[in-house]
Amino acid sequence: MKLQDVDVAVIGAGPAGMAAAIKAKEAGAKNVVIMERAEQLGGLLHQCIHNGFGLLYFKEDLTGPEYAHRFIEKVMDTGIEPLLETMVIRISNDRAVSAVSKSGGYINFKPRSIVLAMGCRERTRGALNIPGSRPAGILTAGTAQRFVNVEGFIPGKKIVILGSGDIGMIMARRLTLEGAKVEAVVEILPYVGGLIRNEVQCVHDFHIPMYLKHTVAQIHGEERVEAVTMAQVDDNNCPIAGTERKIECDTLLLSVGLIPENELSLMAGVKLDPITGGAIVDETRQTSVVGIFAGGNVLHVHDLVDNVSSESELAGQSAASFAKEEKPLERGKIALKGGRNIRYVVPHTISGQKDVTLYMRVNHPEETVRIKVGDVMTKALRVVKPSEMLKIDLSTEELKRLGKETKQIIVDCEKREGR
Amino acid sequence: MTREETIICVGCPLGCEIKLILSDGDEVIEVGGNKCKEGKQYALEEFSNPVRTLTATVLTKDSSQPLLPVRTSKPILKTLLRQGMSIIAETTVKPPIKMDDVIVPNLLDTGVDVIATSDLRS
Repeated sequence: MKLQDVDVAVIGAGPAGMAAAIKAKEAGAKNVVIMERAEQLGGLLHQCIHNGFGLLYFKEDLTGPEYAHRFIEKVMDTGIEPLLETMVIRISNDRAVSAVSKSGGYINFKPRSIVLAMGCRERTRGALNIPGSRPAGILTAGTAQRFVNVEGFIPGKKIVILGSGDIGMIMARRLTLEGAKVEAVVEILPYVGGLIRNEVQCVHDFHIPMYLKHTVAQIHGEERVEAVTMAQVDDNNCPIAGTERKIECDTLLLSVGLIPENELSLMAGVKLDPITGGAIVDETRQTSVVGIFAGGNVLHVHDLVDNVSSESELAGQSAASFAKEEKPLERGKIALKGGRNIRYVVPHTISGQKDVTLYMRVNHPEETVRIKVGDVMTKALRVVKPSEMLKIDLSTEELKRLGKETKQIIVDCEKREGR
Repeated sequence: MTREETIICVGCPLGCEIKLILSDGDEVIEVGGNKCKEGKQYALEEFSNPVRTLTATVLTKDSSQPLLPVRTSKPILKTLLRQGMSIIAETTVKPPIKMDDVIVPNLLDTGVDVIATSDLRS
């Protein structure tokens, strides 16, 4: 395949990129390339050796490597060209792509359309401003995951985990099973940050103490972490004097959130949503730049890879039809806005002409609620939590209820009567 | 005398704390605290047969990958997880290995195998 003939270029070969590329190919794009900076396809899935993947997408309980395997086989079978060890360093707003690789040197080409699938990265200590010294032994949960599951190193023997995100809880179990002692999982919020399944099976199963409304107020140690000071926090998340407790440990893992990796998107002039940290898109997953699409964690951080795959297929399909017709897809004109207890809604705009799935998150946990999508539909839910993304399907039938002149739909999470 | 056991349901984000009242012989007399039928079912199953899929890695020889990821082919009793790990920790494998190949047969006489979840190249 000559690079000047590329119809769809996908940036990133994690679950999002692979799903987008496969769908683009299936939807009729002739020449599809995936550009990946690592030496293999699959992205983060290789280090996520735990199970729980694929329950929605394949109706099976798979591990990360197994989930990746199914997509890798399909990428290879469908004639998509993977450009491995290839780092995209620039995208322009007219879709010129520049990359560097060991084998190809400096590459420049202009695909007909682009799918952004760069995923996300972890927040680090720098984002938290924890006082104390700067010893070795402080790392993100995902880095520890790579050490333990891929490289074969245990980062420490006595471990404190700050943040109760899914990766943190999964590493609590993994390190315990590998012989380390996890002294505490410390969460600043009054509720657990990850899925309930992980709270029970990774933390409770191993009797690991979980401290809610607590934080790490200080890190001790010069060469290596020697201890952390944990403290309870008040309603403004400030440590409460007198509640400090020193916990001896040699390692502090951070599981404190993920940030979509959008440096390339910004270079291309893609407009970002300050809340999701990802692109502003319509239901086709087209960004503000014509011919550039986005899907997966680069768009908004998901909690299930299954949803990453499904969403990115949409982006891949749209990129294929854009490449084929070489004319801009019509943009959705109806804006979706988060109202009461809705932190964000993706996509940001819809056409109102076809079935669409809305992805959203709430601001805070609430029981006995209903999600109200303007006057279009409502859905009763027993409970909503920020850690569990909500998916609401709108059918073309329901969307017919929209007035002709509708410019905006507010999505609310309302309290309702009942148990 | 009866005693009580609490099980947190993982069926939905609600995470109900389901209380089981047990007789002397550990028979379930009463189930409460669940907000749906599935919750009761989950609690009874989790009480009588709490099983988990064990996932881990084994060391490799003669491969550029230092580790091979593995899992139990079926969930095993959660009380066996640590014992299972000590067997897995003593295991070393060599390429070539295909995904789904058996790495440890019949782990701890459970009838469940430990299988590869990835290929292993040299």
